[in-house]
Amino acid sequence: MSQTNVKPDRGSPPGTPRWVKVLGIIAIILLVLFVILHLTGNGFGGHTLSMEYWLEQL
Amino acid sequence: MILTPLLRKFVLTAHVTFAVGWLGAVAGFLVLAIAGLTSQDAQMVRSAYLAMELIARFVIVPLSFAPLLTGPVLSLGTPWGLFRHYWILIKLLITILCTIIMQVHMPPIIHLANKAASTEAFSADLHSLQIQMVVAASAALLALLAATTLGVYKPRGMTSYGWRKQYEERKVSPDVDTTT
Repeated sequence: MSQTNVKPDRGSPPGTPRWVKVLGIIAIILLVLFVILHLTGNGFGGHTLSMEYWLEQL
Repeated sequence: MILTPLLRKFVLTAHVTFAVGWLGAVAGFLVLAIAGLTSQDAQMVRSAYLAMELIARFVIVPLSFAPLLTGPVLSLGTPWGLFRHYWILIKLLITILCTIIMQVHMPPIIHLANKAASTEAFSADLHSLQIQMVVAASAALLALLAATTLGVYKPRGMTSYGWRKQYEERKVSPDVDTTT
């Protein structure tokens, strides 16, 4: 981690790279899937339990 | 602040060790979670959850916090910076997310281990927690693999902030190449 090869020119800032956009879309899809699963009651239910256990620990 | 080459190598060694160690520990955790979920042998199931608690408490949790310290030190101590390149920013986000998820899942892990330590049989209501362990460990493993891949390949892509900072630095001292 000693060298970076990107040298910006004097024009406008570079746009978001394609790989970042693809990762972002994948992250959004996973998030939506997670929310839908929980809203429809098909989640694992463990997160509610997690909160209960956290409160018990306190 | 720029790290000296010797110090940079030391922090880099620590960072790689912590990150890869974390990945390996999560892989071991996943194997135990699958064994705990699928095994028909009661003794195997109990052993798996007891071992999972130990691995989580004494290996995964400490190793999840360590890269959060060495990563920013390494990036801020070199010309890479912490917010200048997308791959560093995304790697940081993945690490923070995995650390939070690990903390959220600690109580269920402790609960499963307590049940395993007691003589009573595993009840059906624990099944959702057992599945949750497999899903969470699988997701964490994939996320950590993605972070490792980003760290090795270092894909191109500078943030607007990084571009602006580098442009300003080059404007101030045009003869000095800040990228080396």
